[in-house]
Amino acid sequence: MNVLIIEDETALAHELEIFLSNYNYICEVCFDGTSASEKIATNLYDFILIDLGLPDYDGLDLLRESKKTNSEAACIILTARAEINDRIKGLDLGADDYLPKPFSLLELQSRMQAIIRRKFGVKNNIVELGGFLIDLTARTISYYNSVVNTITKKEFDLIAYLILHKNRTLTRMQLSEHIWGSVVNNDYDSNYIDAHIKNIRKKLNAYAPPDWLETVRGLGYKIKINA
Amino acid sequence: MKLGTKLTLFNAISKLVIVILFVLLVPVLIKNISRNYVDSKLIKQKNKLLQIVKSKGIETYIENGEGYGSYLPLKEEYISLDEVDPDYFLDTIKRGKRLFSEGDTLEYRILSHTFKVKNKNYLLEIGKSVDTLDETSVPLQNIAFQVLLGMILLTVLADQVYSTYVLKPLRLIIKTKLVGQKFPNFHTYRQVRTTTSDFQHLDISIHNMIETIADKFHKEREFISNASHELMTPISILQSKIENMFEEEDINDELKGRLLEMQKILNRLKSITKTLLLISQIENEQFLKEDKVSVSELLQEVYDEISIRLQDKNISYEMLMPDNWHFVNINKFLLFNLFFNLINNAIKYNHEGGSIKVTGVAVNDKYMISIADTGIGIDEDAIPLIFNRFKKFRQSLQQDSFGLGLPIVKSIAAFHDIEINVISEKDKGSTFKLIFPATLIVIS
Repeated sequence: MNVLIIEDETALAHELEIFLSNYNYICEVCFDGTSASEKIATNLYDFILIDLGLPDYDGLDLLRESKKTNSEAACIILTARAEINDRIKGLDLGADDYLPKPFSLLELQSRMQAIIRRKFGVKNNIVELGGFLIDLTARTISYYNSVVNTITKKEFDLIAYLILHKNRTLTRMQLSEHIWGSVVNNDYDSNYIDAHIKNIRKKLNAYAPPDWLETVRGLGYKIKINA
Repeated sequence: MKLGTKLTLFNAISKLVIVILFVLLVPVLIKNISRNYVDSKLIKQKNKLLQIVKSKGIETYIENGEGYGSYLPLKEEYISLDEVDPDYFLDTIKRGKRLFSEGDTLEYRILSHTFKVKNKNYLLEIGKSVDTLDETSVPLQNIAFQVLLGMILLTVLADQVYSTYVLKPLRLIIKTKLVGQKFPNFHTYRQVRTTTSDFQHLDISIHNMIETIADKFHKEREFISNASHELMTPISILQSKIENMFEEEDINDELKGRLLEMQKILNRLKSITKTLLLISQIENEQFLKEDKVSVSELLQEVYDEISIRLQDKNISYEMLMPDNWHFVNINKFLLFNLFFNLINNAIKYNHEGGSIKVTGVAVNDKYMISIADTGIGIDEDAIPLIFNRFKKFRQSLQQDSFGLGLPIVKSIAAFHDIEINVISEKDKGSTFKLIFPATLIVIS
């Protein structure tokens, strides 16, 4: 997958490149709108990440250009000016997603995955873990022939996020940002993740011990999936 | 009481008091005036008589040493002239009673005067009845009272009209500049037309004050908006760097622990910045109010988000909400956050095993949703301050908040014209009452 990163903050652009390269994306980076415009006109990309606040260019213009010459590319808007109007405008112009800064790299990756699934119409997205079948599209968990129906929406979100970032330790902060990201909250405490994990384990234990859901001492949680 | 009313009332009362005093004084005044009038008339008559005596001689009245006397048929006036002892001297005007041969005793104002003609001493008496004088004072008093009362009414009316006219600019200033100003959205300045310099001064001063406050307010909002926006990019860079470092394979556990600490601190910074940004966006009215959502559904969504916290503290949660209530003309995202923060506080400041009750009641044409907890409560003198930013008045068991929860609530409520009342008793619990105008909730 080819990704064009348009971000005038070189430090951030660099981190995006490192992270996405780790996930096997092929990245190109532009620090200004003019060179980005040239690249959009000449190369084909699967993803274009556009920072709206460029010094020399209106990010929304870049979005318009990409829609013309790179119509297959999925555009994700990254911006620090989280104005409601920008968001509406961006999505109106055909942006596939919108991430206000500061965002978690994991969140970016999960949004990109969602777009891929949408574009390629992935229907069967079922993961097998220690006898449990987890259907990420239908959002169900079953153990052999019985459906585990005690899992709540939040709990499923946690499991799905850990599966998406399998074999990586996700910190409580990263997990709580994902499942409570939309709540503007007075707290910065993320201990409730532990309570959620405890509940998940209890509910799954009724069927079989979910050993694949690991606690990484002092750090967070991870789901191990071999190969 | 309004200034105009006070002025009119004072005018009316003070005039009435003066008139009553005057009317009470009328008999005395009339007596005095009529006595002077009578006295001068008596003196004139005396002079006229002496004139006659001088020109025509005393014989005109007295012959053969016999006294002279004459009175009008009803005896309201009389004159008498008698010869008296040569040494007798009298020259007075005073009240006195006189007995008539018919047996009547009448009271008179009597002028007594002695004079000498041809070595003989004579006493002249001229009397005027005083009864006629006394009788006039009562009707005079009545007339005076009526006339003056009429005059008072007239002047009070005139005062009223004039003071209404002259105070009109003041009323206008109060109406347009002070009452119903929704802070900080001031109307544009419109000068109040007046020729009274005091009011001109007042008008301009109030306008200047409002302008200064509005300006400061605007600058503060602009600053918060800019500052929080500008902080987003550096926070984003740091967050990405920390996340990428976690991915490094050769980092030992000790370093990972420290990275986690950094992530925690950064998260705190992020929460504060995001909250400030949200408040500034609400205050700058960047949200639409076009959503419609069932009240119980919205509260259920909040419950779904927050149930883990209730469970964690073993707090029971009860919701008594009519199913047919719907929010209209609201921003769902903001109202969600309003309820989330209030219920979150109700959990945070609650005791282990406490309870929370969310109730909806219709009161007249308004709707009240109250959130009551059995928590630690708020000091009474701290209640007005709990909505201030970065102020924490309640010590929660976890040191995990930064005092922006209620400021968010306040901003969202103000944005929607929702009134908040707080009732709290120390160690018993707190109740936050949200009063929604009829424009925000429909029953269907």
